Amino acid sequence: MSNKKNNIILEEYENEFSYKKSKTNLNIQFNRIAFIFFVFFVISIIFSIQLLHLGSLKKENNIKSGPNIKNYRADIIDRNGNYLAKTVSSIDIGINPVEVIDKQRLLINLQLIFPSKDYFEVSKKLNQNNFFYIEKKISLENYEKIMLLGDKSIKPEEKLRRIYPQKNLFSHIIGQIDDDNQGISGLEKSFNERLKQKKEPLRLTVDTDIQFLIREQLIKFNTIFRSKGAAAILMNVNSGEILSMVSYPDFDLNKREKVVDLKFINRATKSVYELGSVFKTFTIAAGLDEDLIDIDTQFLDLPKSISCAGQTIGEYSNKIPSDLTVEEILIRSGNIGSVRIGQKLEIDKLKFFLSKIGVLNKIDFDIGEVGKPITFRWGKCKLATVSFGHGITTTLLQLAKGYSIITNGGFNVKPSLIKKDGDYNKTKKRIIKEGISEKINLILRKIVTNKEGTAQLANVDGYEVGGKTGTAQKNTLGGYSNSKVNTFASIFPTSKPKYVLIVLLDEPKTNSEYIYYYRDGKQPTKGTPFNTAGWTSVEVAGKIIERIGPILATKHREN
Amino acid sequence: MKKIAFTIIFILILATSVVKNSTKETEDKIFAIDENTRSLKTKLSEALLEYNFLSSPEKLTQYQNQYFKKDLMKINIIKIKEITENNNLILVNDLIRNKK
Repeated sequence: MSNKKNNIILEEYENEFSYKKSKTNLNIQFNRIAFIFFVFFVISIIFSIQLLHLGSLKKENNIKSGPNIKNYRADIIDRNGNYLAKTVSSIDIGINPVEVIDKQRLLINLQLIFPSKDYFEVSKKLNQNNFFYIEKKISLENYEKIMLLGDKSIKPEEKLRRIYPQKNLFSHIIGQIDDDNQGISGLEKSFNERLKQKKEPLRLTVDTDIQFLIREQLIKFNTIFRSKGAAAILMNVNSGEILSMVSYPDFDLNKREKVVDLKFINRATKSVYELGSVFKTFTIAAGLDEDLIDIDTQFLDLPKSISCAGQTIGEYSNKIPSDLTVEEILIRSGNIGSVRIGQKLEIDKLKFFLSKIGVLNKIDFDIGEVGKPITFRWGKCKLATVSFGHGITTTLLQLAKGYSIITNGGFNVKPSLIKKDGDYNKTKKRIIKEGISEKINLILRKIVTNKEGTAQLANVDGYEVGGKTGTAQKNTLGGYSNSKVNTFASIFPTSKPKYVLIVLLDEPKTNSEYIYYYRDGKQPTKGTPFNTAGWTSVEVAGKIIERIGPILATKHREN
Repeated sequence: MKKIAFTIIFILILATSVVKNSTKETEDKIFAIDENTRSLKTKLSEALLEYNFLSSPEKLTQYQNQYFKKDLMKINIIKIKEITENNNLILVNDLIRNKK
């Protein structure tokens, strides 16, 4: 064990830290002028803040005194300023039985003002001591009379109501609101916040007179051809403004009924259909756009039918020749010729073209009730059927858009129900090559004028109508039914297209009593010979153009 | 220098009060006009609503059926003429050329 000594050295600790209060040498010296400026500066800041505060308060007050009432909704007007939906105030008269002094006297007085009421019921309600309404939406005359009674139990209540003076005419476009002033369909839903917050009316592109005339014809022919429903869209091909959009059957917006029945579906925007041969125009336009064909390109030795995956694709008529030019394929609505053009295009190019003109995907529109085209897997057989408009679905609105683009010179359009002040010419963008529209329009015109064409019934004198028919069988689970969807996509005038009119009849039937008066002077015939678009939808479109044409040619000339 | 600064400030204060006063007067006038036109606007919109309802295509068709025996005529576009004035001359032309 070591006896090592440990030495501990203690040193005195000297703490050098000593607390000293820091002293600043800041010495602000205002001279007199600077001080005065400083005071003025502070005053002006306070004054400005107050001004800003008052300004913001005033704005809030303005809103409160204006439209910001709980149930306020801005009006909706058509392109000519006619009311389509309007918020009006009305007075409901209620009675609080607890406050009634003399029941008999009150009953006699009420009987004098409202003689047609059931006073046995009123008497019963008076005895139940619960508040009830004696008259809703009272007239000004009766209001004055009832208030002169001076009875404390009579309680007037001012309410805001939404009224639709055109009743059924715009039911699918405008839509409905619920009891809490919330839009539940149509523009009332998609523009709910705009209608509640802004005072200015919402101006639409639609024309009441044209809408009425088109709806009138749809109702008439819906009865004649016993269709399940019908729809029509009239759109400006250059601006995309929708002048009319009718879906029938429709409903009266003033009744505020809950619309759940599928028969009231918006056939113009929500329903998706296989539209048939109207798609052939797109196939040919795609071929022209890709420089794979021209209108005089010949297709020789076309078979009467081809087979694909066990399915037979044939012509609708055996009279269609085996040698056809592109123009003849569209005029005579040749299925096999369209398939050949589709095969020349191949899947990617046709798919790209259909996407480009907006018929393949869901469209962005002003109302929420928009259908989504059914997606499918592309293959050789699908390419063949899509080429002539089968196995592919879209909405009527998208068809109108597609026809607008391929006939207006190739410029993209966005269908719209809301009137905009800007010049559409400034924003237009070409998506199809120049010169294609002229070729397509020429063929569409021939479909209406040529005796081989399928749309002669729409050759209304003076309007240069052109168009393409489409007759398609409705698809059911696992196949096709005998029910049809007959469509006619028309444009006019073909020399410089301005309007596209699409007419669709959902499940029409032939009518043996209907008399066809031909426009070329031929003897009238009785009865619908075939349940095709050429004998149904084309006839409807012809009658519509005949009626709306003078309005479009005069009233909408400068628009 | 001080005098100039004070004079400028004084003028600015005076100008502000004058401008503010005239703005207030204008605001009052606008408010009075707004209040006076409010009831007129309501009356106009009510009259317009009534007019829209009574002259709606549905009503007009109903009146036509009620008071006239014949159906409404369909106008042939070819027969519509256009009147234009050019150097004090009134010209009558066809609205459109007849294209078959």
